[in-house]
Amino acid sequence: MKCRTCGRKAAVNMRQHKLALCKEHYLEWVPAQVERFIKKYRMFSREEKILVAVSGGKDSLSLWDILHRLGYQADGLYICLGIDGRRSPLGEGVNYSAESQRLTEKFAAECGLKLNVVNVQQEYGETIPELAGRSQRGKGKPCSVCGLTKRHIMNRIARDFGYDVLATGHNLDDEAAVLFGNTLTWSGEYLLRQAPVLPATPGLARKVKPLCRLYEREMLAYALLRGIEYIYEECPFAVGATSIYYKELLNKLENERPGAKLGFYLSFLEARKKGLFAEPEAIQQELHPCPDCGQPTSAPGLCSFCRMVKKD
Amino acid sequence: MVKIILRDKEYEVRPGMTLLSALMKIDILPESVIATREGELIEEDEILRDGETIKLVAVISGG
Repeated sequence: MKCRTCGRKAAVNMRQHKLALCKEHYLEWVPAQVERFIKKYRMFSREEKILVAVSGGKDSLSLWDILHRLGYQADGLYICLGIDGRRSPLGEGVNYSAESQRLTEKFAAECGLKLNVVNVQQEYGETIPELAGRSQRGKGKPCSVCGLTKRHIMNRIARDFGYDVLATGHNLDDEAAVLFGNTLTWSGEYLLRQAPVLPATPGLARKVKPLCRLYEREMLAYALLRGIEYIYEECPFAVGATSIYYKELLNKLENERPGAKLGFYLSFLEARKKGLFAEPEAIQQELHPCPDCGQPTSAPGLCSFCRMVKKD
Repeated sequence: MVKIILRDKEYEVRPGMTLLSALMKIDILPESVIATREGELIEEDEILRDGETIKLVAVISGG
C-alpha cells in the first residue's frame, strides 16, 4: 500500500476515506483535518484562550499536541480522580490516576505547556470511588459520579481562570457510540445536546470537540506515530461499559461498510440542523445559579454536584 | 511461525499470509487494532514473516 501523496510505503490506511498515507504525510493530514473542522464548526479562533481537558489518554494528549502545533493558545486541565484500580494488596498493576497524571505532566513539561491540576480528594475530601460509594448516583458504578464531577470542575476552572472555550478529546467513535445509545432509546433531550459545539450560556463555558470527525483508530495512529506516551491501561471501572459495547458493535458495522460510522454521525448532524428533532423551545429548562458554587442548574436549590459532595 | 500479541494474549499463525488474513484467522476485527512490527506501523496488506512478533494495539479505550 502506497502513500497517496508521495508514493512511499503507507503507514496508515483509512478505508473510510479510501486514503493511505506514509508517516510524514499522515502527521500533516491529521492537524489539517482538525483545523478544517475547527473552522467549519466555528469552534474558536487563535485569539481565544482554550482549556483542553486532558486525561493522559491518547485522544486528549493528541488533541493538545495538535492544537499546540497549529498555534492555538491551549492550556491543559488534568483532574485527578483518585482511581487506583490495582488488583492486589501487593500493588500489582497500575495506579490509574497516578500514572495518567504522571504521563500528562511529563507531556506538558516536554512541550512547555501550561497544565492546571485539580485533585478531587484534596478539593472535595473524597476520591471518585469514595463519592460513588456513598451517593445514590454512584450506586453500582462510579461513572455517573465521575462524569458529573469532571463536567463541574472543567466548567469551574474555565470560568474562574478566564478561558474562552473548553475543548475535549471526544473522537468520532465516542460520538457515534453516544449517538447510537441515544437513538436506541430515542432520548430527544440528549440528541438535541449532542454537537461539535455547545455554545456558552450564562455560567457555562463554550464546549467544543475538535476531534469529533476523526476515527479513534486515526487518533491512535497519530499518537503512536508522534511518539506520544499515553496511558495504555483502561480505567478499571470501564470494564463492561455500555459505551465500549456500542463501539464494538459499530466497529463490526464499519468493518463491513467502511465509512458507516462517519456517515451515521454526519447524517445525524444534518438531520438535526434541518429540524428533525423536537424544537428547543419545547424542552427548554429554566436555569438558575447554584447558591453554593454559582454554576447553572435546573434543580431547585443546590446543583447536582454540590448536593452529591455535601455530606449529611 | 508468526507470533501476534494483543494485551496479554498471544496467538500464532503461519508465515506468508497478509496481516488481514492473520487477523481474520484469530478472529480480531482489523478496525479494532493497529499492528506494529518493531515499533513501526504496518497495514493489512503486509506479508507476515517467519519468526517475527507483531504487536497489536487496541483502538478502543475506556476511561
